[in-house]
Amino acid sequence: MERNRIYEDLSLILHRTRVVSAVVGAALLLLILFFWKIQVLDYKKYWALSEANRTRESVIGAPRGLITDRNEVILAENSAAFKASIIRENCRDYERTLAEVSRLLEIAPEDLRSRVAKFESLPLFWPITVKDNLDLKDVSHIESRRLELPELIVEIDPRRYYPFGNLAAHVIGYMQELSPQELKSDAYPDRNLGDMVGRTGVERQYESVLVGVDGRRLEIVDSQGRSRGETSREEPAPGKDIKLTLDFDLQQKATQLLEGREGAIIVLDPRTGEVLTLASFPTYDPNKFITRFSPQEWMELINREDHPLENRAIRGLYSPGSLFKLTMAVGGLDAGLISEQTSFFCGGSANFYGRSFNCWQRGGHGALTLTDAIRFSCNVYFYNVGRRMGIDRISEYAKLLGIGQWTGIDLPGEKEGLVPSPEWSRASRKSDWYPGETISVSIGQGPLVVTPLEIAAHTALIANRGRGIVPHLLETALSRPGPSSGAEGGRRAEAKIKESAFETVIRGMWKSVNEEGTGRGAKVNEFDVCGKTGSTQLIGREQAERLGKSIRTHSWFTGFAPRDNPQVVVTVLVEFGGMGGATAAPLAKELFALFKEKYD
Amino acid sequence: MIDRRLIENVDWSLIILLGLNSLLGVVMIYSASHHLAGNYHWRQLIFLGASLIVLFVVLLVDYQVLTTFSFYLYGAVVSVLVLMLVFSRFISKGSWIKFGLFQAQPSELAKIAIILVLAHLFAEYKRSHVSMTAAATSSGLVALPFMLVALQPDLGTAISLLPLLFGSLLLAGLRKKAVIGLLLMAILAGVAGWSFYLKDYQKQRLATVVFPSRDPQGAGYHILQSKIAIGSGGFLGKGFARGSQSQLKFLPARHTDFVFSVIGEEFGFIGVVGAFFLYGLFLWRLFSAAGRSRDRAGVYITFMVSLMFAFQFLVNVAMVVGIFPIVGIPLPLISYGGSSLLANYLGVGLVLNVKMRRFANI
Repeated sequence: MERNRIYEDLSLILHRTRVVSAVVGAALLLLILFFWKIQVLDYKKYWALSEANRTRESVIGAPRGLITDRNEVILAENSAAFKASIIRENCRDYERTLAEVSRLLEIAPEDLRSRVAKFESLPLFWPITVKDNLDLKDVSHIESRRLELPELIVEIDPRRYYPFGNLAAHVIGYMQELSPQELKSDAYPDRNLGDMVGRTGVERQYESVLVGVDGRRLEIVDSQGRSRGETSREEPAPGKDIKLTLDFDLQQKATQLLEGREGAIIVLDPRTGEVLTLASFPTYDPNKFITRFSPQEWMELINREDHPLENRAIRGLYSPGSLFKLTMAVGGLDAGLISEQTSFFCGGSANFYGRSFNCWQRGGHGALTLTDAIRFSCNVYFYNVGRRMGIDRISEYAKLLGIGQWTGIDLPGEKEGLVPSPEWSRASRKSDWYPGETISVSIGQGPLVVTPLEIAAHTALIANRGRGIVPHLLETALSRPGPSSGAEGGRRAEAKIKESAFETVIRGMWKSVNEEGTGRGAKVNEFDVCGKTGSTQLIGREQAERLGKSIRTHSWFTGFAPRDNPQVVVTVLVEFGGMGGATAAPLAKELFALFKEKYD
Repeated sequence: MIDRRLIENVDWSLIILLGLNSLLGVVMIYSASHHLAGNYHWRQLIFLGASLIVLFVVLLVDYQVLTTFSFYLYGAVVSVLVLMLVFSRFISKGSWIKFGLFQAQPSELAKIAIILVLAHLFAEYKRSHVSMTAAATSSGLVALPFMLVALQPDLGTAISLLPLLFGSLLLAGLRKKAVIGLLLMAILAGVAGWSFYLKDYQKQRLATVVFPSRDPQGAGYHILQSKIAIGSGGFLGKGFARGSQSQLKFLPARHTDFVFSVIGEEFGFIGVVGAFFLYGLFLWRLFSAAGRSRDRAGVYITFMVSLMFAFQFLVNVAMVVGIFPIVGIPLPLISYGGSSLLANYLGVGLVLNVKMRRFANI
């Protein structure tokens, strides 16, 4: 008051300043209340949000089990690779992200868009792989753009690697990404979208053994998605290793022998059914498309005329040709319709049911007994056997001996051959069976088809004098799912067919190889190879001559060695290989020789 | 030139409160940015020292002299702002002007110029209510730099000029009708601004005050992250330099506009109350200085400076807890930034200047 007398009277405006400062004080108190609300009352909610902000759960891929041959040569292993993934949660501008990533990784924008759309159902923090098998250049490009593109990350991916490329590719199989549809099915219960699974071969058959249990990692991440350390970790459990019955050397040899041809080679142990070699050609390098995408190579392989992805050994259906004469011989002997001494005359052709049927030897073989008929693969002899047996009996024996029957091998996708019968004809062809067809079937032509593996199992059954086996690839004792009709067929044969019938047929097979028969190309000194050739005509010889075309035949050989206590069965099929004795038998010889060198 | 009695009348407790708040700022800047290159806390300390020196220099000149020459300062600042707009491509970037290695925000100095020029305008205004001409003149004086700054575009700084005008008009005496009229005008200006001036991102920011979780990766991101930071601090906080939101960079502009969120996260509700208390003491000391003024101009100066601090503090804190749009107003004294620190110290310097010269003409 004293001051105000000396100077001017400021009481009015000072009052106004006090009013305003009181308002400010009230506002401060009000703000404190807001802090009380979010820091004390809503504390739990914001605390949870901040934890979610800073931790990220990620999957540590479990390494897949190794696949080795019987001597532990590694056929499939794991190598580290890099993959690029998008975390949608970190996108500021989705369209810009797509444009940038598409440019950076050279992915077509529409491919990228459909790729991300495929994973729409996953939570936003889940990384979506957009490119795998990154090279170091890609990795450095991504890393250098960390700040601009926090949504694009590089992850280390244990990637399947097949050190021998196309070797045994059809047995081992390959891997591809699990599709959203498969994920919904019950076949893959504990898998995630984006996981790789075995598509064919052992990789698929033993998927549940090979696959491990993925680990989990909780990481602290910053707002750029960069890891700042782990908080907890659950180690992945690697998948179990698998030891196959394959023999690397034999498999490699078989692959080399088939190089440039189309066909299949099977080597197995008739005592156990262990498959030593299962080769199909043409083949492919599975390393080239273990990717989540469909590269050019893949599309080309699918569309190629010679179907390199098909495993001809278990999925190729071929006429057995003269190989079927073994079935005819066993059946005829067992049924008592012929004996070892039964003789027929071959004049190069013979008439049945008003039609002429040729022998491959145009001049004819003259009079010959059963073992020589097998040795020279005489058609006319077996036409006569066929006429005596009739189609029903032929069909019955073929099935007993494993022809046209699933072998039950532990590989997915095995096909079953066909043994025709009048019932089959009526059911499938809606026509009656003609007696002339029985004559064709007697030498393995007509509607009769088999897979090379069936022939190998059938040969093992003969080698074992009636005891059938189930071919298998897994050496370690694990339950093998799948049909086992082959095994039953084998057991039935042993019970129902006289051992002497097998002995007689084996004598003929021995002669074929060792006494200048059609199988002489397969002869190995001091190894007593027994075998049978086959040449299947794609069109009948008469028809070919009429059309003026050259005959293109598939070339077969199947056999075992040694004659007593057989240790190995070799079956060779070369498509369009010409006469069985000329093409397939020499290939089989190489494998018999290598087996003898290695195991005998 | 400077009397011993003047030095005795310097309000040392205000200087101490100023220093304490500034040091709290340095500490929080350290916590928010120690993992970044740039040594922001050291730079802020250097700015602090420099600003303190400038503050003492300002004390040497009587504020009456300063108000007398205020139009020159005002003219100079406005000219610089105009030049910045015209030659924006060459010398400036937004609100920043470059001097070699330095960058400065002349818009911060505009606040001081406006305070002085308004104080000069109302120094001899003794009526109980403000006249139309006075209101129009003062509004025009603020509107010019307001537009220039808003066009830079620096909406935050432009808005923080408005309480200076409003405060001076309040002191000069606004009728109730005028207050209502002003509020109506503010609403109209808001609508017009929404339609013609605001950029899309600014509109989004306004919209997300209401719905922060609607678009967590877009405009709502900053608000949401700031609320998460503060809320997750809880009662006691996560500890110094241990806030996950700020240390892991989820929090935007941690050492500048959102520095208060760091306080909330790392020191909890206790820390927030403490900071409010410290700042409140400082504001109270500023406001109460008005009563220690020798003349009308002094009251205007201290009141406008106090209001400048109070407004920016309230808006910034309301902004970080998500009850006010993010308009880019820093927390005075605590946020990192040399220009704003200098302007704030100049403001406190003016208050000290008024207070120490409250007795007679010396």
